[in-house]
Amino acid sequence: MAANKVSLANLADLKNASDDAIANYLNSLSFKQSHTMTDVRLAIGYGAFVIAAAAGGWDYYFGFENTKLYTAIAVAVYTLLQGALAFWISFVEHGTVYQGQAPNGGQKITIASFNAKKHEPLYKLKVTTQPASGGKPETIELERSFTEWFDESGLFVAAPFQRFLASSIPVVGRADPKRVKSESRDLLEGDSDLLDAVMSAEAETTGADKKSGGKKRKV
Amino acid sequence: MLSALGNPRQAAAQVLNFALVLSTAFMMWKGLSVVADSPSPIVVVLSGSMEPAFQRGDLLFLWNRNLLQETAVGEVVVYNVKDKDIPIVHRVVRKYGTGDEAKLLTKGDNNQADDTELYARGQDFLVRKDIIGSVVAYMPFVGYVTIMLSEHPWLKTVMLGIMGLFAILQRE
Repeated sequence: MAANKVSLANLADLKNASDDAIANYLNSLSFKQSHTMTDVRLAIGYGAFVIAAAAGGWDYYFGFENTKLYTAIAVAVYTLLQGALAFWISFVEHGTVYQGQAPNGGQKITIASFNAKKHEPLYKLKVTTQPASGGKPETIELERSFTEWFDESGLFVAAPFQRFLASSIPVVGRADPKRVKSESRDLLEGDSDLLDAVMSAEAETTGADKKSGGKKRKV
Repeated sequence: MLSALGNPRQAAAQVLNFALVLSTAFMMWKGLSVVADSPSPIVVVLSGSMEPAFQRGDLLFLWNRNLLQETAVGEVVVYNVKDKDIPIVHRVVRKYGTGDEAKLLTKGDNNQADDTELYARGQDFLVRKDIIGSVVAYMPFVGYVTIMLSEHPWLKTVMLGIMGLFAILQRE
């Protein structure tokens, strides 16, 4: 899927592509995805559709007058199901794009994603983790720019996205330690002057050789 | 879009979104039918026989319950003639008797003669159950689209073509 280009001007596309990437990544780390939420939504939705189709069917075959009581009931039930569906989507799912359990019976994780602002390319994640045995759920909120993992042509680049998830969500980091990256290291690599300054400061405090200065050392 | 094919749940969700748009529109229509107690609570005027009250293309909203009073002389009603599918919008001009068995005669405001010619063979009057509703509100001209589409079928092709073009241009 990563080969699919998305339009960089379309926030919904960026979000959808990123959402799909979360599931792909976590499942590749042997997280066990749970589809219960989606299945409930599909069941309510298709249930409503079947009722509407049935109402259409008996209306067509038996006429309006003979079936209007049933049609009235069907309309009422359909309205209720639509209400339930709206409730489920906005209050229960509330943006949830992934639900699953860390490998080997680890923590349960729920990830909801949002476009943080209407016209800015910000990806907002709300990650809730809970020990498998029950216990208190913990929620962290993350916000990053889509530009970190989409290149200028709109291709999704997996590595920085996975590094972001592994570094920011402890459960994911534990499952994929090699992608964990500390913020400070990130900062240093991005700014060579800062790197130099930190290196020389380290050299001073540790009393290491000032002249070599660590300028060419790699962290 | 195509990637959804690899994921049955996602495909099912997309199909569902489309299906619910259709079924919701249908159920709103049925809800209106139930409330107005009419099999066809909104009709389009097809002829000029009720001019100047209604023109071709006017959209009429019907009410088919006699909550306060019976259908009376002067009301504009829509009725179906036995064994004919096309509903006719005309005014009640005479009424004999009361209740469901009252004999009603209708006439188009713009017609010379009353409707006895239009009724089925052997039918000289209407009764209440032939009527599918009295006109309670209307929107001028809005229904003309449906007249155009049914009288000029090639317009349907043109409309499909335009929609298809948009679909291609929008890449969705």
